[in-house]
Amino acid sequence: MELQRTYISGKKTDFLVELVQTISGLLLVAFLWTHMIFVASILLGVNAFNALAGFMEHYHLLDAAVIFIILAVGAHVGAVLRRVPGRWQEQKMIWQHARTIKHNDTWSWLFQAVTGSAMLILIIIHVFIVVYAGIDSTLSAERVHSWMLWFYIVFLFLAEYHASVGLYRALVKWGYVKRHSLKRILTIVTICTIGLGLISLWVFYSLGGSA
Amino acid sequence: MSQRELAIHIFRYNPEDPNDEPKTETFTLQEEEGMTLFIALNKIREEQDPTLKFDFVCRAGICGSCGMLINGKPTLACKTLTKTLPDDITLMPLPVFKLLGDLSVDTGTWFRDISLRTESWIHTDKPFDPEAEEERMSNETALQIYEAERCIECGCCIGGCATANIKPDFIGAAGVNRVARFMVDPRDERDEQAYFDVVGSEDGIFGCIGLMACDDNCPIDIPLQGQLAYVRRKMAAAGWKR
Repeated sequence: MELQRTYISGKKTDFLVELVQTISGLLLVAFLWTHMIFVASILLGVNAFNALAGFMEHYHLLDAAVIFIILAVGAHVGAVLRRVPGRWQEQKMIWQHARTIKHNDTWSWLFQAVTGSAMLILIIIHVFIVVYAGIDSTLSAERVHSWMLWFYIVFLFLAEYHASVGLYRALVKWGYVKRHSLKRILTIVTICTIGLGLISLWVFYSLGGSA
Repeated sequence: MSQRELAIHIFRYNPEDPNDEPKTETFTLQEEEGMTLFIALNKIREEQDPTLKFDFVCRAGICGSCGMLINGKPTLACKTLTKTLPDDITLMPLPVFKLLGDLSVDTGTWFRDISLRTESWIHTDKPFDPEAEEERMSNETALQIYEAERCIECGCCIGGCATANIKPDFIGAAGVNRVARFMVDPRDERDEQAYFDVVGSEDGIFGCIGLMACDDNCPIDIPLQGQLAYVRRKMAAAGWKR
């Protein structure tokens, strides 16, 4: 045992940070899926979407959601940063390792890190837009019917992929699941949530075009 | 069976020789019926290059000496039939472990270090009585211990682990599996807090990021996902109470 190691041995901090990472991750997956179902209310018509948005604004649920997302994303980023190989040397080793051993779950972790980093920027932009513009079907339709469509398509794919792989890894690490059937189920769920998101975007796009 | 000509690309490097550079050398040989990589490598050494370094002892998947990257997959060369591989076969030594030369690595020093750090022996205050009858345990417990104890320390779970590749102090699946073995052993008197001191950290179970290359590559199919999850849950409970 070296001196610098005596400072950190036997402490519960490593466990607590792991717990923060897992719980914030699970909460964010739940948030994302709820969010996508709420957005899909546009499939029931403009009135349904606006009623839901109005309800959320009236009862300050939108404010709560914004506060939640800032806290949860902050906690999650803080916790997972320790996992991302920070040094150039480690980066070279990890990419070479993935190329060498050709193992799917190793690749998916690297994509998880890449999508996570990209999403941090996209989430900040998305939250800013929603906070400053509010939620309204006309505004959404206008946004989607512009170059911003690509922003939402990319965001949708990154978010659903990251959530799916993250949920898979959390459940695999803590046990209780059969790994390969879990992977199949999550693949189907992810295809469905991406499909639902794309259909919602398409509805907004055509609303924006007809206005 | 039509006989193929195999092109075997082997990583060559002698770290002892300051003038040597890491390189890949290609050997070609005729495939034979029932040929394993153990046979292929010995044939190459006998007929083509006597300086080729690689490790084998039991040639039956028991000793764990011949772990290497076979077309990237960490596994045992003696258990791998050439007929399961394409015409081109790339062989590299296991990463993480000290490279002795070509395909030969020193897994022993690494595993010895893990044994000491995880204190892999029965901790008990009971005086040993050589005359006494051995304490009994349930068959179920004995089988659970045996499942973990089957580990042959080939190092495939370590070489395939991205975390072990970049964090030299990470004990990996082999280390965690070893601790799991003592956790189920009723003769070991360590409580959960004592185990937490050993594996409840980033170098232990909380350093695992769940890539499961260990579980996918273990040549003798130890259920490593289950072992890792078992230790993780135990250590989470211990950490919570700390």
